[in-house]
Amino acid sequence: MKILVVVDVVILVALIIILMSLKGGYEEQAKRTANEQESAYLEKNTQVLVEQWRSVDQYSMAWKLVYSMLSGAKTEAAFTSNLAAIEGDKDARFKQISHLYTGAGINDAVQNGIFQKAGLAEGSILIKNDKNVKEVACGKGCVVKFSFAKGKMKNVDYSALVQYNLANSLKIEKPAEYRFE
Amino acid sequence: MNLKNISIALTVLVFGVIAMLFMQKGNYVNQAKEHYDATTAKSFKGNSMVLELVNNGIEMNKQTWAIACEALQTVKNSQDMARLEAKFFPATKGSNSIANKTRRFEASSANVIVSTFAKVEEDKKTGVKSLAGLQSVDVSVLLGNVAAAAASDDSADEEGGDEE
Repeated sequence: MKILVVVDVVILVALIIILMSLKGGYEEQAKRTANEQESAYLEKNTQVLVEQWRSVDQYSMAWKLVYSMLSGAKTEAAFTSNLAAIEGDKDARFKQISHLYTGAGINDAVQNGIFQKAGLAEGSILIKNDKNVKEVACGKGCVVKFSFAKGKMKNVDYSALVQYNLANSLKIEKPAEYRFE
Repeated sequence: MNLKNISIALTVLVFGVIAMLFMQKGNYVNQAKEHYDATTAKSFKGNSMVLELVNNGIEMNKQTWAIACEALQTVKNSQDMARLEAKFFPATKGSNSIANKTRRFEASSANVIVSTFAKVEEDKKTGVKSLAGLQSVDVSVLLGNVAAAAASDDSADEEGGDEE
């Protein structure tokens, strides 16, 4: 009988120890899952702004290219050199994006925060380079078409730029409910 | 028996601890949820605002670019230019500077284009002066070279009487 009571006491003490450690575990788990889910959400939002920034870079370069083709020499050679000059001038690209953001009311600190993560759009905006048809990316879901004949520009279709709208393709999602897992 | 009493006390304690555990767990989850809700709501609000402001900025920017690029293809005089401006911005009018032979269109302080013309024309009946022979369209403000455009923004502007 006495042994049974001793065993009982030992089990109860062990149970209390287990419960106390479980309590610490819950606390740690609640903090960790909240942090993980917060970071995941913040990161997702940052990615949207990064994508928007790079899209604006492509958009800005495309407008500059269209403008330079309409205001200067309308030849295939001019297209190639204009494109190279526009893509290569990284300071001017940043300036143009930053100007648009400033005009939209986004302060320098926020701009720099996005720029630190986004940099400039990677690769060339030239996505199709046939002899007579050249296509240039002008942001997410936007393409400008230049058509040439015998080295001379015949037409430039930049209607996608005029209708450019990121509101449909980029969205900040509402946060999901916190899950204690 | 002493051990028996201890075991009874311990049993009570175990139930107490179990109850506390569930209460504490609830507390931890609530605290975590509050923190999560506050952080994510702030991020949602701030980032949505940036996204929307930039999208709105693009709206105005693209229309200003569109005027500049279309002007290079179709505009001959300041009346054409006024029509083109009205097509994209019905509420905003550009202004001619007869002295400089330029026309400045300002959709907003960040969206400005200045077109330069070859000559001044005068309507013989009304005496209203307008500009003819589009030579170039300056987009330096759109490119972020604000200083360059500010220099051409002198006080010699006269209101052109060419709006229909």
